[in-house]
Amino acid sequence: MAVKKLSKDKVGEALKELSKFRLVAPARSDDVVIFKEISDPAEAYLDYGNSTVPPKKMVFPQTETLFRFMVGDPELKEKNVEEEGTTVIFGIRPCDARAMSIVDKLFAWDYDDPYYQKRRALTTLVGMACTEPPSVNCFCTSVGGSPFSKEGLDILLTDMGDYYAVQALTEKGENLQKTLSSQLEDGGDEKKVEEMARAAEGKIKRSIKTDGIPEKIPTLWDSDVWKKVSASCLGCGTCTFLCPTCHCFDIQDEVEELGEGRRARMWDSCMFSEYTLHASGHNPRPSRKERTRNRISHKYSYYPNKFDDIACVGCGRCINLCPVNIDILDILEQVVEA
Amino acid sequence: MSSNNGNPYIPYRVNILDAWYEAPGDRCIKTFKVTFDDEKIWDTWSHRPGQCAMVGTPGIGESMFCISSSPTEKGYLRFSIMKTGKNTSALHELEKDDSFYIRGPLGNTFPVDDWKGKNIVTIGGGIGQAPLRPIIQWVRDNRADYGELELIYGARTSADHCFKAEFEEIGQSGECGLHLSVDVEEEEWPHFVGFVPTLLMDVAPKPDNAIAVTCGPPIMIKFVLENLEKLGFKPEQVYTTLENRMKCGIGKCGRCNVGNLYVCKDGPVFSYATLKNIPEAFA
Amino acid sequence: MVDINKLREIAKEVISRDDVRQVIGYRPGTYGFRARPAFVLEPDDVDELIFTPACVNNLATYITLEEKLPVPRGQEPDSRKVAVMVKGCDSRALVQQMEEKAYDREHLLILGIPCRGVVDMDKVNARFPDVLEKGEIALEGDKFVISFNGTKEEVAKDELLADKCKRCRYPTPLVSDQLLDDEVERFAEDDYSDIETLEKRSQDEKWAYWEEKLSRCTRCYACRNVCPMCYCEDCVLNRIEPMWMRRSVDVSENTAYHIARAYHLAGRCIQCGECQRVCPMDIPIMELNRKFYKDVADLYDYEPGTDAEASPLLSTFSVDDREDFIL
Repeated sequence: MAVKKLSKDKVGEALKELSKFRLVAPARSDDVVIFKEISDPAEAYLDYGNSTVPPKKMVFPQTETLFRFMVGDPELKEKNVEEEGTTVIFGIRPCDARAMSIVDKLFAWDYDDPYYQKRRALTTLVGMACTEPPSVNCFCTSVGGSPFSKEGLDILLTDMGDYYAVQALTEKGENLQKTLSSQLEDGGDEKKVEEMARAAEGKIKRSIKTDGIPEKIPTLWDSDVWKKVSASCLGCGTCTFLCPTCHCFDIQDEVEELGEGRRARMWDSCMFSEYTLHASGHNPRPSRKERTRNRISHKYSYYPNKFDDIACVGCGRCINLCPVNIDILDILEQVVEA
Repeated sequence: MSSNNGNPYIPYRVNILDAWYEAPGDRCIKTFKVTFDDEKIWDTWSHRPGQCAMVGTPGIGESMFCISSSPTEKGYLRFSIMKTGKNTSALHELEKDDSFYIRGPLGNTFPVDDWKGKNIVTIGGGIGQAPLRPIIQWVRDNRADYGELELIYGARTSADHCFKAEFEEIGQSGECGLHLSVDVEEEEWPHFVGFVPTLLMDVAPKPDNAIAVTCGPPIMIKFVLENLEKLGFKPEQVYTTLENRMKCGIGKCGRCNVGNLYVCKDGPVFSYATLKNIPEAFA
Repeated sequence: MVDINKLREIAKEVISRDDVRQVIGYRPGTYGFRARPAFVLEPDDVDELIFTPACVNNLATYITLEEKLPVPRGQEPDSRKVAVMVKGCDSRALVQQMEEKAYDREHLLILGIPCRGVVDMDKVNARFPDVLEKGEIALEGDKFVISFNGTKEEVAKDELLADKCKRCRYPTPLVSDQLLDDEVERFAEDDYSDIETLEKRSQDEKWAYWEEKLSRCTRCYACRNVCPMCYCEDCVLNRIEPMWMRRSVDVSENTAYHIARAYHLAGRCIQCGECQRVCPMDIPIMELNRKFYKDVADLYDYEPGTDAEASPLLSTFSVDDREDFIL
């Protein structure tokens, strides 16, 4: 598909056009960058690195209804995700889009997850290439990604200075591009985009060699590396909630006073102590050491074992925001040396 | 199959045909015999020994329980549930003609087809007999397909024994080996006194052409596995069924994994040959 | 200034003792200007210990955070002491924990570090963005000296100092077995001027303000877990029977959580500010805690974390307690 141009002075118009759909774009809440639904193009904040909470929350909301009921009434009303309509996530970074492709595999594993899959099918991802790494702790190139990666995206935008290069990558992308035909022009410089992609890869400063890590981790079950790396862990959910590939959830029933209720699911974290707590009181992962070992094993060994993808896209959020500077690359280095 | 209109999170309503207590006390055990509210579901329902279902009530929650009846028992499903927390306490309030909801069948099955022609030994402790019961019923209902059947079962006290009436019936009929025990001496208890692993050594089943299936408290399983090894059973001949905290039951919420295996999906049935390589199984 | 060699020597002496299990201190972080907690188990490991204005963590939280796991049969629990390095504000957490009888004083070996202030990492990152190579921060007089990538820059102390340090009244630890430096004289006062803005808001303004902030809350519980005073084994938020707070995340439940936590900390929060520091969504959690702190000081003339022999405020009844807000 030929590369088109979206002149920067036409971005507002383009967003206005896209707001016919449910348009999600980076925005600011005080100084915090978040992805949220916007109706006014002026709310979009495009001078951003990346959001704190990844846009996974648009296809996999932090809290969502599975079905509604009245206590005592046999009827269960399934939540119809299609009511939410078509969503366009504008400005998603390549790592976060790639993360969705990775997590898609789990939600399609044997059983369908209609909530996730329907939302995903109704969502078009318009990505923004990383001409500069959003963070010094980015390491996407070590885990199969790159700053201009097209995996999972429907359209890729590249900031060329006074215009965005626009590349449709999928049928969904082409269809969306058609709706913007008034704002788009021909003549995006494809060659320049390729050059910028190479240059961007060189700007990623942190790295790790992941060869052999998925096989090595299970052999370190009794190693004291886990106690060491988890000693300072607070057991909060920051790393898991901000991780674009984390997908664990809880299911809880909620009932209002008049008997109206819903069964909802909400994000959960394997780092919380009650994550595996049995009703009998037994907890197979009683301390942060076991939970840390499980988290790293899951992301870097169990998931690649099952789905051929390391469940990490190198976005660096966990490194930036861990309150006690627990660093996944530091842990992996210790795993390699152990 | 385990999707209600393509949505595996929507449960089926079941009506209680009968409910009775198996064992008394703070952690009493109640058995429910249920059928689907919508009878048409029976047309497409099929389950095998070992499979489970998420059982609960909208407004309270759900937990995973083994389907304690064999598919050869037509027209109903059985669940034997120990009262432990929020969901199970609510279930224990229910009686005949009440309803609850299930999602299933979930999980993998005991490879009963592979076991044809073999001798089967079941070794259960307490509520752990519930997932073994469907194997026993299956073998009894397909008797010609299997070799000898040996049942080894114990609980803390005779009152804590599950399925007392059925064991009574089996004992009378003499159709298979039956070895019962209680943990400590009890007045008028005519059978073995001691822990199940000890009873196992007393019975000493032969490993030739045999399959051993065990389920019970983790400490019992640990010693049973050791003793089976002493008796000459190879890991491939030994099966167990695991449990863990579960929420989705379909391998998506992430929490029930033991090593790289999800108990709700890769399990709950595992051979000891598989578990031997998973340190988390014996943590 | 803390003499780093002296600090390491003392740490080495301490960890070499038979009756000490570990020394909790600080070591350089993995990138940029960060520092992180260190858990020294062997005498040789003391060489990684540091103390600089980048050492922002309150290490007192680890005393109550560490799990007490059941001990295998035949083994005795490890009853050796834990040594911990604490700044002035951090030491108040230890004092308050002792006031609440969370553990015996003998369980701890407290290495107090009189502190002249730590930086606010957000301010450092704003002033020196995108620094990957490990850098250092030192305090020389009234200037921070920032070294990184072969360069050194001086910045006025006030520009990078954490807000809590600007009103610090306890720079020298209030409890310790050893002080690792000379005592620091109080260099600030707290006039609660930061909460004036909060107090002056109208009801509508308050709703709008907190709705914006709390709609960002992801219920990661970093604030609760980092707090040295949040050490209940069975936190009210984990209960499902009864369910005081739903696990679903929305403004209503988030508000309930933060208000409940603020109330549970009334008369107990020792103002270390860690909760606000660790929040990934920049929620001004300390505003609530500060307001409670001021109210407690006004109503009861009580300051938590200052006297290990005192009785905890809200579990002590005094006939003189003010009742005018009840009756």
